[in-house]
Amino acid sequence: MAFVQHSTPKLMQKLTIEASLNPNQHAAPELWSEGAPCYRIQFECMASDCSMLVESHRVDLVIEAAKKAIIEAWRIENTFSRYQSDNTFAVIHSQPNVRQTLNQETAQLMLFAHHAHQVSGGLFDITSGILRQAWRFNGSDKVPSQEQIQALLVYVGWEKLGWSPQHPDQLCLPQGMELDFGGIGKEYAVDKMLKLFLSIFGDVPVAVLINGGGDIACSGPRLNGQGWRVGIESLAADHTSDQVISLSSGALATSGDSRRFLLKSGVRYSHVLNPLTGWPVENAPRSVTVAAPNCVNAGILATLSLLQGNHADAFLKSLAVPHWIHPTNT
Amino acid sequence: MAVAVTNTMKKNHELAKILAAASCALVGGLSTAHAEESWDVDSAFLLYSESDGRVSAAEPVISATRNYDSETSLNFKLVADTLTGASPNGATPSDQVQTFTSPSGNGSYSAAAGEQPLDDTFRDTRVALSSNWAAPINRDWAYGVGGYVSKEHDYQSLGVSSSLSRYLNQKNTTLTLGLGASSDTINPEGGVPTGLFQVPEDASSSEFTQRNDSESKSIMDAVFGITQVVNRNTIMQFNYSINTSSGYLTDPYKILSVIDDDSTGNNYGGNYTVNNRNVYLYEKRPDSRLKQSLYWQTKHQFENNDILDVSYRYMFDDWGVTSHTVDAKYRFRFNNQYLEPQLRWYTQSKADFYSRYLDSSAYTEVDFASADYRLGDLDTYTIGLRYGYQFADETEFYTRFSLYHQESSGDDGYGKLTSQELYPGLDAAMLMVGYKF
Repeated sequence: MAFVQHSTPKLMQKLTIEASLNPNQHAAPELWSEGAPCYRIQFECMASDCSMLVESHRVDLVIEAAKKAIIEAWRIENTFSRYQSDNTFAVIHSQPNVRQTLNQETAQLMLFAHHAHQVSGGLFDITSGILRQAWRFNGSDKVPSQEQIQALLVYVGWEKLGWSPQHPDQLCLPQGMELDFGGIGKEYAVDKMLKLFLSIFGDVPVAVLINGGGDIACSGPRLNGQGWRVGIESLAADHTSDQVISLSSGALATSGDSRRFLLKSGVRYSHVLNPLTGWPVENAPRSVTVAAPNCVNAGILATLSLLQGNHADAFLKSLAVPHWIHPTNT
Repeated sequence: MAVAVTNTMKKNHELAKILAAASCALVGGLSTAHAEESWDVDSAFLLYSESDGRVSAAEPVISATRNYDSETSLNFKLVADTLTGASPNGATPSDQVQTFTSPSGNGSYSAAAGEQPLDDTFRDTRVALSSNWAAPINRDWAYGVGGYVSKEHDYQSLGVSSSLSRYLNQKNTTLTLGLGASSDTINPEGGVPTGLFQVPEDASSSEFTQRNDSESKSIMDAVFGITQVVNRNTIMQFNYSINTSSGYLTDPYKILSVIDDDSTGNNYGGNYTVNNRNVYLYEKRPDSRLKQSLYWQTKHQFENNDILDVSYRYMFDDWGVTSHTVDAKYRFRFNNQYLEPQLRWYTQSKADFYSRYLDSSAYTEVDFASADYRLGDLDTYTIGLRYGYQFADETEFYTRFSLYHQESSGDDGYGKLTSQELYPGLDAAMLMVGYKF
């Protein structure tokens, strides 16, 4: 994703965020002026370059809101990261085979994952992350053996969890299974950031667009009533098929990544795995971008459409949601 | 076939609806943990030293603020200061050696001919603790409440404060009403002296034995303020405040010289004596004071991020004191450092009852009198420089050095008194070092 810029940006200041609220030690966010009343805040989160575009005459609130939003994104990143030893993710996985009580936020994420699992006929499954131990999508030709996959599939399957939507905060996680919130984490963070950002402004007029490494949500049209100009990059190196769209409400999310694939005997295996077979989805588009009222919604639709393989376009058409697909062979 | 397609579309519409609802529930959920709750601590140490080795002070300050969200905070502040040295007792210098009874009546101190009489028993340690809670009521209203307690060996103060703010005009305008009240107790060394009574020779005098141990005063104040965001770089504030004190407002340690105004005698302008003792009177101030002040402050951030902060205060009271204070600071901001020069000018006109000395022919007729230079015509100048350095972990070190100069002026007296320096200036230096984390 790229944004169309109008005036020469100028670095105004680095936003100071207390070290204790920056557990992953990201660089300080930068506040850029793009000619009043437009500001851009650049920050890092979840291994992506992220930004906020803001239009407001209250630079003090812009700074306060941006800081709060970034702190929230960093909190979510740290809470569900698979690489921390003392976060929510680690605590859940340190107690297999016993009934444990989840915090409210995790319970909400579990409910969402449940609905997505149900409506996708099992294709969306947050227990499937473990399959990555066999599949390494680094452009090589190393395809795992069926035995390896079968061994891992034992630990995949949403219905194997001791969990029910009636008591979403109660979980019994079988030994060896893993919950991966990474597939919805970024979109969730973008939506939370937007919500928190707008709460700081109250009645004060503001327009904001948050870009969490390609997953985008906006507060509505810009102050002048026009939409935000968002570029959807093609995956081609020369960007020849880039499209610029106008976003005036809701969110955009993209699933798919041209750099993550396996190539064996002329077959290109996408990184989208079918949790039922343990194999990559065949003929999946390289990437899908979907527009929806919020980023979590856009993200799940984009992910589900990839799981449809070459039916992705038909699937999205049947949903009547705006979408942009980069097919397999471009 | 057509039926199958329709069914798929129906099913997918249902799917889309469920996912939209599920994502709404997730995003709208009140699941945010408030990770931003943490303590912000500002600790500082201030050293103050007057020239000629008069008063020196050391003051550690520690302030801790817990921010619950952007508008809710709890603050505690602890200040301890130790003052040592000598302060002017109010008497005029003289061409003779002068001996003064110490405040307790159990000793004496003296000033050489031509020397400023200083009470060198001045020494005190003060500890003050204050706390403030601020929180929103709803989107348009906010409130604050606070408490204050301080203790010295001869002075205690207990206060409460409250404020109510109303946001208007999309938070560009804030109206604030603040109310405060405090109750102070003064228990001076040696008891409370009788105002305008001659300072006795020692504690065996009946003036001493009849003294009260303590007195009290109460203070009420109200402030009405408007804060206006002028544009995205400028914020302006106007305050009107009214402050009323009643009770014992006198300084129990300050005295006045009575000067011989008999122009036909050979002691004209010298200390007036009765029974070969110089006559000094304890000062006495009215038992109420009503102060009003107007305050204006503007902060402006320039395009290069530098900040100019200018303020002006006009104060007047029913003691006849009026004062003007102008303060200007300019903060040069660099990447993670700043340099802030400061200039401050204060000028004050004297209280109606201020008198550098009393005439021997009239001293029995005055109702109130004080020779405290803080109530006289006064000008002070402060020049300072503050430097701050922000570390990568967002903690900040800062230091400020300032020089203070004070000039008093007034009636130069007559006869022998004209050769004495009645209005000595004062120079002081202050150094502050602090760390915020």
